[in-house]
Amino acid sequence: MDTGIRLALTLGQIGAVMVAVLLTVALLTLLERKVLGWMQDRMGPMEVGPYGILQPVADGLKLFFKEDIIPAGANKFMFSLAPVLSLVPALIGFAVIPFGPDWTVDVGGVNFKPFVITDINIGILYILAFASIGAYGIILGGWSSNSKYSLLGGLRSAAQLISYELNVGLSIVGVLLLSSSLSLVTITNAQGGGFWNWYFFAWGSFPQAIAFVVFIISSVAETNRTPFDLPEAESELVAGFFTEYSGMRFAFFFLAEYGNMILVSCVATVLFFGGWHAPFEFLQGPESLHWLTGMFWFTFKVYGFLFLFFWLRATLPRLRYDQLMRFGWKVLLPIALGNIVVTAIVEYIFP
Amino acid sequence: MNLKEWIKTLTFYEILLGMKATMSHLLHYKPITLQYPHEKRALPSNYRGMLALLRYDDGTEKCVGCDLCEAACPSRVIRVVSSEVPGEPTKRYSKEYYMDMTRCLFCGLCVKACPVDALGMTQEYEWAVYDKRQLHLNKQQLLAIGDRNFPVREKRLEFQHPNVAYFNVGFKDIPQKEA
Ligand code: SF4
Ligand code: SF4
Repeated sequence: MDTGIRLALTLGQIGAVMVAVLLTVALLTLLERKVLGWMQDRMGPMEVGPYGILQPVADGLKLFFKEDIIPAGANKFMFSLAPVLSLVPALIGFAVIPFGPDWTVDVGGVNFKPFVITDINIGILYILAFASIGAYGIILGGWSSNSKYSLLGGLRSAAQLISYELNVGLSIVGVLLLSSSLSLVTITNAQGGGFWNWYFFAWGSFPQAIAFVVFIISSVAETNRTPFDLPEAESELVAGFFTEYSGMRFAFFFLAEYGNMILVSCVATVLFFGGWHAPFEFLQGPESLHWLTGMFWFTFKVYGFLFLFFWLRATLPRLRYDQLMRFGWKVLLPIALGNIVVTAIVEYIFP
Repeated sequence: MNLKEWIKTLTFYEILLGMKATMSHLLHYKPITLQYPHEKRALPSNYRGMLALLRYDDGTEKCVGCDLCEAACPSRVIRVVSSEVPGEPTKRYSKEYYMDMTRCLFCGLCVKACPVDALGMTQEYEWAVYDKRQLHLNKQQLLAIGDRNFPVREKRLEFQHPNVAYFNVGFKDIPQKEA
């Protein structure tokens, strides 16, 4: 009985989160083009619906009805597996993100946390591990397409992901030292009470602002977005690793890219900007309304980061490959390592 | 690098400058694009659009079938079949006149070459078709284009080249072959 209730509740939660994420992806495809357009003195999509707001629907229908082509000489099994391999890790990470206050509700004798699907105590490690699996989807997709452009895109992304995964992992160690926990729920709870407690500012300890910059740059690189979009590099590699993909398989890669964007925005919000906590205590409202204000602030911060992604894309040109590698290994890595050392020392002296 | 440049590099000064520029475009959003099928831009009066054959005020065709436009055309768009006006052995006209608009590059040389100003360039440009054979125009079609674009056919002497009678004078301003 208990197991049944737990299963039903968890499935409901997963469904709700999936719907929210996929709706956000649909919204992002429109928002990105609109924001890019506005920044470049254009209008963005305007034809479908008033001011183009129905464009995601039209795009979705188009992708759904497109012919699904498997190129001759492609490894069929790997070719079909790759989109799934890149989409699943992008979506699975949301399981440990706390979207609201850390409440425990008792439903029919089952302890149920409404705002986090599962609070495992190695949450952040779990997200990083699955992000690495996502790289397999990209590499396999590039390799199995039997096309040199795809292969080059896949190889580029392999090198890039390995270099920048490391920086993502190292840049968050400072936060983990401060909170002495790997669970995202615990990390969020430690940041309540006002914006000076967020680990970006970390009042009374070593601020993680530098780590945050390293984290944001590395996650832009990890999600293959401009200025680090060498794996797809429209102007050189056609579309990089998904050159040969069409229809729903292409849509899977697309969803994975945007899903990853949302995921790293959520992680940045949780680790550095206090998750669902408002910048001031009074903005959080009364205790009973924390779920509403919490969700609001969480969404607000996540969309702020997503806007930052668009903003960077509208501003910066693509890096050259050697610049990318040099920046990752010679600049970001020492900074991240230095941040760990300094944070550890400060934390040891002023615990 | 001196200290100032180091600080600039460390604080991503240049990138922030660029981001400020894009942000200012977002905040002072003024699109420069036109929503083409719904809005159309104003064309300059010397716009070189679709070609047309013209008529005199009384409705007779201007073209005298001299073939000079065919000779002037760099892309071999035009084909003229010249013949006598029936019953008037001193007069000639173009019995057939074809233009293959798929090849035309809208240079306007044919218009300049014509000694009687029988060709004109209109402001039409929406000539996309599904079958490219529809762009192979005959005389009737070209005259119809002229009729709908130039309903008034008064002679405007101020636009007339003083030397139109001497055919090649019109070519003076384009590069000539070395003698
Ligand atoms: S505009 Fe130029 S290319 Fe076109 S028909 Fe006249 S001479 Fe030929
Ligand atoms: S140059 Fe003028 S008159 Fe001569 S054939 Fe061409 S259109 Fe007719």
